[in-house]
Parts: sequence; C-alpha cells; structure tokens
Amino acid sequence: MTAQPSLSPTKTRPTFRLGRHSGYLLLIPGLVLSVIFLVLPLAIMVVVSFYSTAALSTGYLPIFTVENYVAFFTSPQTPVLLVNTFTLAFLATIICFIFGFPLAYFLTFHIKSPAFKNYVITLLIVPFLIDWSIRTVAWIAILGKGGIVNFSLMSLGLIKEPLEALLFSRNTLYIIWLQTYVVFMEFPIYLAMNRIDPDLISAAKVLKAPPLRVVYDIIFKLSLPGIMAGFIFVFVCTLGDFITPNLWAGGVQTLGLSISRYANNFLWPYASVLSTMLLIIALSIMFIAFKVVNIKKLFYE
Amino acid sequence: MILKVLESRDLTKWYGKEVLALNKVSFAVDEGDFFVMIGPSGCGKSTLLKVIAGLLDYEAGQLFIKGTEVKQIPPHKRDISMMLENYALFPHMSVYDNIAFGLKMLAKDRAETEKQVKGSLKLVGMEGFERRSPLELSGGQRQRVALARAIVVNPAVLLLDEPLSHVDYRLQRKLMEELKLLHKRLGTTFILTTHVQEHGLSLAETLMVMNTGVIEQLGKPDAIYSRPATVFAARFVGDINLFSGEVLGKRNGRYAVKTELGELQASADEGQDYSGRKLAYGVRPEAVVLGKEALQCENHIQAKLVSTYYFGNSVECLFEAPGGISLRVNVPPEAAVLLTGGESVAGWRAHDAILIEKPSVIEGLNIEEVIYGK
Amino acid sequence: MKIGEIGIRVYVAALILLVYLPIVVMIVLSFNTSGRISFPMEGFTTKWYNGAPTGYEYGSYISAFYDWKFWIAFQNTVPVAVTAAILTMIIVTSVAMVLRHRIIGRDPFFYLMLLGFVLPGVALGLGNNILFRMMNWEFTWWTAAILDTVYAVPFGMILMMARFDPDLVLYERAASVLRASPWVVFRKVTFPLIRWEVVAAGIFGFVLAWGELIRTSFVMRGTGVISTYISTELAINPVTPKWYAVGTIVTGISIVALVILGYILSRGQR
Repeated sequence: MTAQPSLSPTKTRPTFRLGRHSGYLLLIPGLVLSVIFLVLPLAIMVVVSFYSTAALSTGYLPIFTVENYVAFFTSPQTPVLLVNTFTLAFLATIICFIFGFPLAYFLTFHIKSPAFKNYVITLLIVPFLIDWSIRTVAWIAILGKGGIVNFSLMSLGLIKEPLEALLFSRNTLYIIWLQTYVVFMEFPIYLAMNRIDPDLISAAKVLKAPPLRVVYDIIFKLSLPGIMAGFIFVFVCTLGDFITPNLWAGGVQTLGLSISRYANNFLWPYASVLSTMLLIIALSIMFIAFKVVNIKKLFYE
Repeated sequence: MILKVLESRDLTKWYGKEVLALNKVSFAVDEGDFFVMIGPSGCGKSTLLKVIAGLLDYEAGQLFIKGTEVKQIPPHKRDISMMLENYALFPHMSVYDNIAFGLKMLAKDRAETEKQVKGSLKLVGMEGFERRSPLELSGGQRQRVALARAIVVNPAVLLLDEPLSHVDYRLQRKLMEELKLLHKRLGTTFILTTHVQEHGLSLAETLMVMNTGVIEQLGKPDAIYSRPATVFAARFVGDINLFSGEVLGKRNGRYAVKTELGELQASADEGQDYSGRKLAYGVRPEAVVLGKEALQCENHIQAKLVSTYYFGNSVECLFEAPGGISLRVNVPPEAAVLLTGGESVAGWRAHDAILIEKPSVIEGLNIEEVIYGK
Repeated sequence: MKIGEIGIRVYVAALILLVYLPIVVMIVLSFNTSGRISFPMEGFTTKWYNGAPTGYEYGSYISAFYDWKFWIAFQNTVPVAVTAAILTMIIVTSVAMVLRHRIIGRDPFFYLMLLGFVLPGVALGLGNNILFRMMNWEFTWWTAAILDTVYAVPFGMILMMARFDPDLVLYERAASVLRASPWVVFRKVTFPLIRWEVVAAGIFGFVLAWGELIRTSFVMRGTGVISTYISTELAINPVTPKWYAVGTIVTGISIVALVILGYILSRGQR
C-alpha cells in the first residue's frame, strides 16, 4: 500500500526556503565572529580616540575630549605621515598592477589545463606566507654586501666593490612589496578574467580589433571588478604594513609605525586617533571604489 | 565571370592529435552567393566557419579569400565579418557602441560612424535602441543587434553561425525572410551554417552538405533534393524511403531493380547502365500516391496503414508493406480521408525513383549500413 | 611562437622568479657551512637543522632541532593554526551557504565578512588589543586563533563562492521538494558536493595562521607562536643559517599544505 502524500499544510515538514528562519540561522557564526572581533574592537578604538591622554593604561579616565584630534591635525608631523603612507601604498599598488595584470592574463589565456591553473595559483601564494622575519633575512642575503646580486655583479665584472645602496632604499621596499603582494593583485584579476565569455573575444577579433585593442577594450574593461578588488587588497595591505617600510626604506615615517609606537608606549588614545584616521581614509577610498566598479559581480550574480 | 570570393583546397584541420575535423575539404563560393552549409552536429560546419573567420587555424591545405591565401592573416585583417551563435554582444557597451565597435577599430570618424550605425539599425528594424544595454534586450532583439554589428563593417563575406538555432519556430520563418531580403539588399556574400536541413533548403542559393569533415554534396538545393549524390545526402536533405537493391537489367529506358519490396522500376538515363550493380533505391514520401492512382503507376504495392501524422496541409502516413518494410507516404488531407485503415495500394512512377550508388563520400562504408542506419 | 608570446612568457617567468627568490635563497643558504650570510656558499651541511650541540652554542648557533625554544613555539603554533582552520571551515561554510540566496542584508553582510582582510591589520590589532585589556580577557592561543580566523574568512569565502556549482541550489530544491528537512538536505546533498571546498578553506585558515605576525604580535604573550619567536630571537641574536633552517621548516609545512590544497582544488569541477 502506498503512503498518501499529506496535502494538509499543517502536516508538511518545513521545506528549505530561505524566507523562513532556518536560513537566517546561518548568518549567526559569521556575525558573531565579525561583531565581537571586528566591529567591536574598532568601535572601542574609535571611542578611545576621544579619551584624554592623561588616561593611563591601567585606568582609563573616561573624559571625552577631542584634544588628541586637535593634536593630530595641528602637528607638523601629520602631513608628512599621511603623504608618506599613502604615496608608498599607492605606488606599490600601481607596481603590483603592472606586474600582476600580465600574470593574470597569462594564467587565464595561456595556460589551458584547469588543473594546472589551480596548482599555479596555489603555489603563487607560498611566497606570501614566509614569515616576515625570514623574508627580511632572506632579502639581506640577496641584496646585502655578501648577497647574490652583488656577488653576480662582481663576478660578471660589472662592479668592483659591493653596492651598499641596494639594501636600504625606497626601491628595495617596492621590490619586496611586489614580491609579497603581487599575488593579491593577480588573483582577483584572474577570477574576473576567467569569467569573460570567450566568444566576446572571438567577436572582437572578427570585428576588426587588433590584438592589443582586444586586450584593452574587452579583456581589460571586463576585468575591471577584479582589477579594482586587487587594487583595494594591495593598497590596504601596504597601508597597514609598517614594518617593511620601517626596515627597508630607511626609516620613513608611516602612519602604521606611529600607531605601533604610541601603542607600545601605552598612549592608547593618540594611537587610536591615528588608527581611526587611517581607517576612515581607507574606508572612504574603498567606498568610492565599490561604487565605481561593482565588485560583487566577481563573487555572486 | 563570377569571381570566387572564397576558395578552399584540401583544407585539413585536426583537434589535438586524434580528432580530424576537416578532411581535405575543397570548395569555392561565388561572389554574392547565399551559401549554406548543413550537416549533423559534429560534421565540421562550425569549425569550417571559424577557420574561414580566422578564429581557428588549419594544418594543411589552402584557403583563399578574394584570391589571397589567409593562413598568415589574422581575423581582424580578413575581409569577413561574423555573427556568432550566441550573439556575444559586449555587455559593457550600449547597443550603439556595440555596433560602432567594428567601425571604431577601422578608425572611422564620428559622423561617418553615426550614419552607418543608424543605417544598420534601420536595416534590422531596431531604430531607437541605440542607448539601450544588451542585457535589457530579448533574444530576438539581441540577434538583430548582433546582425547589425556584423554587417556595418561592410565585409566581403558575412558568416553566420547557426542563426536560427535559438529562435522560436514561428520566428524562424520571419527571420529567414529577413535574411533573404538583407542578402538581396546588401549584395554581400552570405555563408551560413545550420543543422536543420529545411532551413538550408529554403535559404540557400548554393547548398553544401557535410558529414564528419567531408563534403557529401555541393550544388543547388533543388538539384541535391531531386538527385542526391550519396545515400547520406539523400537522407539528410528531406525525407526519403530507401531500400537496398540490385539492378537486374535495363529495358526500354527503365531499370528493373530487385528490392525487398519486390521488383521495382526506375527511369534510366541515356548512355548509362547500372545493370548488375548494387545500389540504393529511393522514393520521396510526397511522390507516392494511394488508391486508384497508385494502380496506374509502374510501381505499386499492397500495404497496411500503421499510423498517420497530421500536419494541417498534408498527412504523413506510415505504411507497412509485406515483409515488415516501412513506407512513408505524404499525401494531401483529402486523399488521406479515403484511407480506411486496412489494406491499401501505394504506388509511384518510375521517374520518381531515385537511384544512388554511393553510400557516402566517406570511404569504406557499407551501403546497407548507411541505408538502414547502424 | 610570435614575439608577443615569447615576451609574455619571459615576463611571467621573471616575475615568478622574483616572487620565489627569497624562498629559494632561504632554502639554499640553510645548508651553508659558513655562519655568515654570504655568497658563494662555502659548503653543504645539514648542521643547522640537526647538528648536535657541543654545549657552547647559544641563540643563533643552536641547530633548529635542538633549540627548545623553537619546539615550544612550534607547539604553540599548532593548536592556533588548527583551531583557526576549524573555525574558518565552519564560518566560511555557513557564510557561503547563506550568501547564495537573495536575502535582506545580503550585500552589507558580504562586505562585513570581507572586512577582516580588507582593513589595515594595524587597526584591527590595536582595536583588539584595547578590547582585550578593557575586558580583562587573557591573551591565549584561542584569541590568536580567532583573530587569524577573522583574517582567513574572506579568503575562504571568496574561494568557496568562486567555485560553487550554480546548480547546487537546484539540487537542494529538488531534495526539499522531496520532503527532506533542511538539515538532511545539507547532510546528503549539499555537503558531499562542497566538502572539498570546505577542506580547502580549512587549509587556507591553517596556512594563514601559520605564517602570521603583525596581528598576532598584538595579542600574544609568552614565547608566542613561531612568528613571534623568530622576531624576538632575531632581535637579540645575530643572523645565521639556522634561521634559514627554521624558516625552511616552517615554510616547508606551509608549502606541503598548499600543495595538498592545490591538489584538492584541481580535483574539483571546471
């Protein structure tokens, strides 16, 4: 005897419709994590930026004041700080783009096997993971007096004495940052490029587009969401990375460096001010970027 | 003298090392022709189209467009244009920019471009759509834009890849008419592919039937229909009843052919004698008549009606002849009304019989296999 | 090949060379007999890895295997990384599942999840530091793991969503139409189809936690994880190939994990 399907609404078991509560439950883990460890800390940090400097680390005197903000905006250090920080980050981003775009292009269009593509992508991430200290030491071995570059140049007879200047300059910084972050530029661009309908490229070709114009009008323009995402990722990473410029770029003052200095001296309020400003500027740039290019397209329809 | 705008000699193309997509394909297309390539899926027609466009390369043979060998010439330098099967409209550009794209690549100035784009839109009946985004358009509208985009660059040859595939049945007829009109107005050579042979028959001035990388037959549609060169062509283009037969002899301008249906008659040409040969004997369903008329034909048999398919303007009847052999007959509705469901007589004239020697252009195929299908 | 093709291959090869240069240098030099960092290599030895100490060495001269500080740091890092991996898997899966559907707050939620990576690490580090102090929470490996997870979730999320089969929703609907409850749908339909992506997200979480410095330095105390161990030691000790040995070991583990990741991802569809 076959079971009769129940037609009564009250007796049906709940179906997987997201309009009901079951779907919203899935939001909880992510929300909990983000709110407690992301939103909350930042909110507190912003609040602390309004505390007076007199508050010591062991007992905050919650006096609300803008004295730290005033100090920030009137300090002669500030413009230098801001210009340095953002210039470095911006140039690093551009450099990463110059190198990352062809890399993504190569990966998308010149490597045919999808399995191989996956391997290459994952292996490209490895260099990002080297611990910062090791990376530092390794670069000394490359650029230092006894390092590879000097060694090769000397044995090729191009120079007599080892070059000192290689080691600590802004150019070094950019090279190191490129080595570290180019993957973050390449990956989103790759994602976007991969989604481009190959027929669009064929259509452009038969519509008289020479190869370079195909790259610009079709591939570049259609991968803009990925390019924008890559820009943001690299920009933000280089904004926040104060250790690298501190060591390699001859002690250039960056915002991040100041933040860590003030934090290490327990001057939380001022550190928070700096951090909040950094956050505001970064968020504003991102906001504008997201408006200009629709990044969500990369990830879901 | 009519120029050959396209010529291919022994064109050969491999996919990887194992799949032979084009096998020494040789043919030529007259200037201004409406050239249609038909064949089952996988026969190589789309591949051939893409090779002509320059999107795919070929390994051996030669391909000439307007007299020049094009192996080294990339797509954007060939005097061709193409409408792809899924239209491939640029999603990040407006309709206007889509159509203007080719002109932009050719560095036309603004005024000229605007004139041409508007003209093109008018030709396909899409005026006023300049500012719209392709994503907003329906399938039919996208197709017109794709068409406009392809013709605006004034190519010597316009390639169309399965333009009727994603179109509703009703609209297919309309689209075919429009394509014909467009062809007349532009005078450009059209090369079109389709896997629906009826479309091929209707549209083509020259028809080419393809089969796994080779050309089965090339010629005018009516010629291919009435005188198919191979069994494959006979079956692919139009419907046909086929039986394997052996020619017993030639007498009074007719052949006597022994088939499973018994001894049948077929007309013979002067100076040709198939006596003793094995070949395929075919007759188109619409050439078969029923009832009293049938008795007056040189060929007639008893058959039992199995089922009928009503098409409105005709009826297709499936008969079973002695020996379990199927016969498809296409008659006007009035004739079908007279059928009672029992035994009938079906017949056809000798000159309506089609004799075909070759099973297919492809070597090594057994004629029976091709007739009855593997 | 045409010039353009050769050009781009050279370009890409040079770039990959640059990207891998520090790693190659690190691995090669970890076998150098000389105590100084210089080229050319004097000799080949594994003493920096497992050379038995004679009792006089300290700091930079104790080989990696025999340095108890290294092992403590190592032991500290493993639970952090593993926890981060597990947390990442849970959160990424739930997030990716939800984001497929059109619900209210979908976009803000997506951006919120993305923030963990997109915000300057300094800000997050500082903020969390202050938070912990105010709440008098302890800095333990749990907290490090959680922060690493916050950082890894965006990666994992992007990874999963980039590889989701668009038909997955159809399969789920088919199952629910056949009267399966949501949990059953997940267990029998969804999870089997996405399990490799989930594992991949976990590996990502592990690998990112394994190599973290900036964030963790704000929230760890004691000997700390590997990265803090390395930086504190290097602050007081001279640089010798021992550190390259340490680095090779640490990175080696990351590389192994990533190769596994690559393998898992290449098994998937597409």
